[in-house]
Amino acid sequence: MARPLTPLRHALRNLARKPSRSAILVVAIGLLVSVLVFALSFVRRVDAGIRRTSERLGADLIVVPTGSRGAAEDVLLENKVSTFYMDRSIADRVRAIPGVERVTTQTYLATIGGECCDIPETMVVMFDQDSDFVVRPWLGRQLGRRLHKGEALVGSQSAFNINLGLTRVDAFLFGNVFRMVGVLDRTGTGLDTAIFIDESNLDDIRRKGKVAVRPGQVSVAFVRAAEGADPEKIAAAVENGIVEADAVSRRDIGRGVLRSLADIGRMFLLTFLLAAVLAACLAWAVFSGVANERAREVGIMRAIGAKESHVTRLFLLEVVAIGALGSVLGIASGTALTLALGRSFSILEKVPAGLGFLERAGIGASGLVIGTGICVLGALAPIRRAGRTEPLRVLKGE
Amino acid sequence: MRLVVEDVSKSFRLNGTPIQAVDRVSFEVGRGEFVSITGHSGSGKTTLLSILGGLSRPTAGRVLLDGADVYSLGSDQLSEYRCERIGFVFQFASLLPALTALENLLLPGRFRSRRGTAAEEEAAAVELLGLVGLADKAGALPSQLSGGQQRRVAIARAFVNRPELVLADEPTGDLDEETEAGVMKLFRTINERSGTTFLMVTHDTDLARQASRKLQMHKGSLREA
Repeated sequence: MARPLTPLRHALRNLARKPSRSAILVVAIGLLVSVLVFALSFVRRVDAGIRRTSERLGADLIVVPTGSRGAAEDVLLENKVSTFYMDRSIADRVRAIPGVERVTTQTYLATIGGECCDIPETMVVMFDQDSDFVVRPWLGRQLGRRLHKGEALVGSQSAFNINLGLTRVDAFLFGNVFRMVGVLDRTGTGLDTAIFIDESNLDDIRRKGKVAVRPGQVSVAFVRAAEGADPEKIAAAVENGIVEADAVSRRDIGRGVLRSLADIGRMFLLTFLLAAVLAACLAWAVFSGVANERAREVGIMRAIGAKESHVTRLFLLEVVAIGALGSVLGIASGTALTLALGRSFSILEKVPAGLGFLERAGIGASGLVIGTGICVLGALAPIRRAGRTEPLRVLKGE
Repeated sequence: MRLVVEDVSKSFRLNGTPIQAVDRVSFEVGRGEFVSITGHSGSGKTTLLSILGGLSRPTAGRVLLDGADVYSLGSDQLSEYRCERIGFVFQFASLLPALTALENLLLPGRFRSRRGTAAEEEAAAVELLGLVGLADKAGALPSQLSGGQQRRVAIARAFVNRPELVLADEPTGDLDEETEAGVMKLFRTINERSGTTFLMVTHDTDLARQASRKLQMHKGSLREA
């Protein structure tokens, strides 16, 4: 038995009759969806990266040395290696502010690229294990005990950066040998590229004389507000009461980047809308031509019993096939473009986390629906006209 | 099946000139009749056929099939009428170019409201292709068939839904004598075996003589020959 004649089979055969015309529309839809997927991936990636970072820090407020707000965001959001210090007593003063529940400190040290035997330039984070509530949640089941002197944890990304990939491997940091005893779970923040050690290592590191930090100094204080306390009020208290420190609330993290992102998003939207209008016009032009060219065939179909709905469905299947094929190509090329160009956009390069499978699937599904929808929308008027073709034309031989 | 045509007229304007293509035509055709309609070019034969087939609404009069006014049907019902009760043979090649000969035959089946299984439909189509001598061309596209072969496929397609009434417009127009004889033999066989009614428009008086009843059109009017 031959393969049954289905409407889809018929539609695909019709498309194959004019492959170059079908291909032009497929390419147009593909380009449109490609722009959409790239734009959505770009905006979603930056936005999600920043929001994830602020949520995962586990702190409501970050206190940094005056003027170091940007540098702190660089470390947390953009994986930049940066060092800045303030007196540890500032953390004690913050702890005394009403509404503050917990405060923990971290000190950022930078390894120097090119120094003999050290790993490549990396951020080393010294943290206080007793008060810590930032690193511990991401330690998971990796260690199950306190970190000893001479031991280090590596961020998930750092494990690859320093070509470890495995724990219990020794590495040279600031002239000291550290045993890597665990890899942190992925946080999706800038901390993924860091190496974590206990504060008790500071004296040994300073003895080698390779760091600028002095005893009694820390880089940041992470603050958790008590239940019901307003982090904004605590931030205001820090700003007004501690002249040597600035406060960054959770919702302010990356605010500048998000503002720029909104502008970029509007530009993408405008570009996409123009491309969508162009693609819809192209679909209209192509299917107007198709409807005119096939008027006689439609007349034959109508004369031998096809209803308007049969004709409309056949043309719709052709449009949907073109739209879907173009969209799939656009999703593939848009995703490839995102991955390829990701490295040439500094904002993407520095955003800590990529998009997850579900986010990518969501963007792909949006691309498929919107690309196909625009193709259908453009071709709708010619399709309706084709459906209403008078069957008499066929008898007259027109 | 009983087709009743009551005072049917069709007029239109061509380049501003009023044309009376069909002028108060009345006749009846019963089940199993084989009727030929002859007449000069422009006498209104094809227009009359299109009115009977539900393709062109008359300006006056009624077409009744088994007592039901064809032109009181809605668009979809009219399509069902054309699909399930009428078989058309057009005066020119009328195959869909993207479909093979077999698929062209299967196409009307796709428009039926009550369909058989795919295997049954294909078996019937293959049998019809065999009857017009084209069993070996089932997989050929129309572009791979000669004009005569295309015409025979289109003839076979007219029978695929087992219509009660076949409207044939110059069905053997571009066929050689031998094939023409074969087609007429097929028409007669189907007419005799299944009681299918035939209304055949032709210029060819020899062909018309093979019909059991002969009608003649002249300037839109119809009379028994």
